Amino acid sequence: MTMRAFLWVAVALTVGSAVAAQDVSLTEGQADISIMLNGQQIVISRSQDTDAMLTGEFAKTSRPCPSFCIQPIIPVAGVTPAGELEVIEFLQKNMAHNTGLLIDARLPDWFNKGAIPGAVNVPFATLNAENPYQADILRALGATPTDDGFDFSNALTLMIYGNGPWDAQGTCAVQALIAAVTRQR
Amino acid sequence: MIRSVVALFIFAVVLCGYIVLHPSDNGRPMPAIGNDATVTRAQTDIALALVTATAMLTNAAVIQAPQRNTTPGINVPVDNSTMNATTTNVLAGLGLNVEQNPNAIKDDPMLRMTTGVLSGIGAITGNTVTTASQNPTATSTLEILVVQALKQGQNDAYIDTLVNEAATAGTITVPQILVTSDGRVDTHVLLASIITQATIAAGGTAPTVPDRPDGVEVRIVQRATETQQYRFYTVRSNDSLGAIAINFYGEVGKYQLIFAANRSTLSSPNNIRVGQRLTIPDA
Repeated sequence: MTMRAFLWVAVALTVGSAVAAQDVSLTEGQADISIMLNGQQIVISRSQDTDAMLTGEFAKTSRPCPSFCIQPIIPVAGVTPAGELEVIEFLQKNMAHNTGLLIDARLPDWFNKGAIPGAVNVPFATLNAENPYQADILRALGATPTDDGFDFSNALTLMIYGNGPWDAQGTCAVQALIAAVTRQR
Repeated sequence: MIRSVVALFIFAVVLCGYIVLHPSDNGRPMPAIGNDATVTRAQTDIALALVTATAMLTNAAVIQAPQRNTTPGINVPVDNSTMNATTTNVLAGLGLNVEQNPNAIKDDPMLRMTTGVLSGIGAITGNTVTTASQNPTATSTLEILVVQALKQGQNDAYIDTLVNEAATAGTITVPQILVTSDGRVDTHVLLASIITQATIAAGGTAPTVPDRPDGVEVRIVQRATETQQYRFYTVRSNDSLGAIAINFYGEVGKYQLIFAANRSTLSSPNNIRVGQRLTIPDA
């Protein structure tokens, strides 16, 4: 199983219709990106307001640790870290062709405040073995139960993100999935 | 005028009588084993009418019986859920409260999150678990699947195909007694159980126990002090322990009597084989 962890760098991707004259492009030569996901068109572009600042929850950078501690960019060896462009590429190549799933590992209240377009909310806690319904979720992700764990060889490719460098929710989700895989070995 | 009204009334009574009595024509109390899809269709409609109290009788056509896949050796994933819990949860998912399932915790945040997750994944991958969030009481994907299909007004053949495809793909687990001797899921027993509980919940009476179940062999053993009657049943194709329990006792839950009496030859309730001879104890 290939898994990538994505840490949400504090530049928000905005969803909306493409503006005619783009001053703020995604990359040089690419103003925005349009992706068909499950029959729904998603357009990803940046805010055209060059004075825009983050406000509210996502503007806050300092939170008490323990609880909100700095996380490694590679939570478990073998996981590939990803930034915005990798996420967009994943949406285009994997999500659009039903071979991958972008997972928002945060708890539902965070997800409801705003999430990456196309992401599915799979709270990290639901991936733990302590969740009596964990198997249902792992099966929905394409894993097959074995005698003593789960086989992910035919599962969807997963890209997982949390709230940012100070948030352990993405890390926990990756660790829980790895635990479900390695339990069989 | 009066004559024609009376004639129409008599015709309606005769028609109703035919519909009601028709299932007993083949001598079997249960549609579980037979392939009479017309009968099972009618019974499902009763349940749906009871449960949803809305007109879902859109599909009145005679439904072809599902194609039985008789390939043996398919491993249907089983779990330890009981038929009663499964049935109660399905009915709760349809908005009908039967007796409270003691195992169902009303506000289970993990369950709530899980159903949300399954719904989200289903929306992206196009799998059949999409309505999970609408059925917070349904606790397994089997229950979610059945509730969804019943809400859509799907027929028995559709549900049978749906559940068996999901079981073959390993995406659902089923109660052990629903596994047939051919390694399929006996959806007829599940649907019949839902109908029975819905009927009881709506103030109806439980179905009566059949007098002489099909395929039974009775032996009377006389000893010096007592005369004992033993009943045996030889497992046939497409039988599940649940179906046999309904055949002999009129209710699914009594399968435990059969299982207990046959522990020496039956390792688990989902392991019955064609040709196996089961002792049927008296209820």
